Amino acid sequence: MSGSDRTLIMPDRFRDPYIFENIVAMNDAVLNSAGVIDMSRVAFIEPYSMLSFLLMGRNYLRKSGERIRLVNIPLQINQYLTRMDFLSRGVFNVSETIPDSMVLKRSISSSRLLEIVEIPNKERQSVNVIASVIALFRKRAHGILKFWMNEEVVDYFVTVISELCQNIFEHSMDSGFLAMQTYKSGNENIARLVISDSGVGIRKSFEQKSEITYSTGAELIEKALTTPISSKREFGYGLCQVNAITERLKGSVFIRSDSSSLTALYNRKEKSGKNIFLRNDLPQFDGTQISISLSS
Amino acid sequence: MIIKVAKLAKEAKMKLPDLITRPVGRFMYSKMKEKLSIIGEGETVVLDFENIKVIDSSFIDEFLVKLIIDAESADFYIKVRNISPVSEINIDSVFNSYSNYKSGRLAVIREELGKNNRYYIGPLTEHESDIIDYLKLNHHAGIDEISRFCGMESGVLKKSLEDLIRLRVIRRTDGEFVSV
Repeated sequence: MSGSDRTLIMPDRFRDPYIFENIVAMNDAVLNSAGVIDMSRVAFIEPYSMLSFLLMGRNYLRKSGERIRLVNIPLQINQYLTRMDFLSRGVFNVSETIPDSMVLKRSISSSRLLEIVEIPNKERQSVNVIASVIALFRKRAHGILKFWMNEEVVDYFVTVISELCQNIFEHSMDSGFLAMQTYKSGNENIARLVISDSGVGIRKSFEQKSEITYSTGAELIEKALTTPISSKREFGYGLCQVNAITERLKGSVFIRSDSSSLTALYNRKEKSGKNIFLRNDLPQFDGTQISISLSS
Repeated sequence: MIIKVAKLAKEAKMKLPDLITRPVGRFMYSKMKEKLSIIGEGETVVLDFENIKVIDSSFIDEFLVKLIIDAESADFYIKVRNISPVSEINIDSVFNSYSNYKSGRLAVIREELGKNNRYYIGPLTEHESDIIDYLKLNHHAGIDEISRFCGMESGVLKKSLEDLIRLRVIRRTDGEFVSV
């Protein structure tokens, strides 16, 4: 809290899904706050953190009926959030608007991204949105996947986007968000696709499936990722297919659901041969948040 | 009968080049059923996926899997062509999952050699694969000829041939085995 004890100060922890856990740990504080968040310390935001933060704001809005007000947003963060359509989602209010001359242009050269899109939880609307997202992705794929580019990689990502978006309306019982961006982190180029919702989460969606046994939430996520199980049908393909494609592309998968997470790193292997890492007992955060990344 | 899937999709006002999601698969399946209403007994239906880049697992489950199941009851054969590498992987994954969770297997014959270096997609054994390759090259053959080529013991070969006929990836005509 700031000196007035009414403003919550966000630390600079928006750099990747793991560091963002610090912000998730503040979820209760955000939900119970006075609805004013100071962003002055934030120097960088990547897509996973952005969408999770958006969900936090939406949860606050649903709980209180009020929008969180973001204050002291550094210019480059404000520019980025505007460019990604974060601020036009109707979830946050901002105290400072950026002058038109400082708004990032939407030219082809700045199109190494997919702005935030809401994936509805109704099948019919969702199918149209998914088709539009994929059409836009195909248009921008040469920019987004510049460092990995070949036509097959584009087609792989079309499959991944399709499978993950369908999971939202099939399983989450809530709408979700998608965003994608290629950005530089140190010497590394990272392409990150993020699809997140604050719905029922993986564990609850499998509640009726007594034949699927697991001891922890993370173990269930691993089962859903590596075997063709489904909470709705006899068997499913979606996550399993996403996993197979990510492995083929030597990328990485991060899935967080409720208080558990899974990281699958196919770009490197531990000496033990292990490349899937599970975590439980994380702070509760409703829904499922998924990040698929390639790095070069 | 040759069905150009892209043309059918365009007629149904689907956005191309990708055919994705269950509703799209269901809709395309209903359009296909209309086309298949005039099909002859034992006819081969070639599904040409030219200009289709991605078909995802949901579409495959609602469209291709249902057509393959229908083929058995309605007595026709399905062959696919111009399948993109990613679609091949997606089909293979769906067929493998199906075979793991259902009592039967699924496979489909294809016109050209795939990225998997096979003339089919699906979880077939090496012996079954050899039989399909042989029939693809020679079009038709008797059991003795296939046995000499594959070096399989007669009982095992008979069972493999029966399984392939049941999967509708080969057929039996006048005592010989024929590629679809």
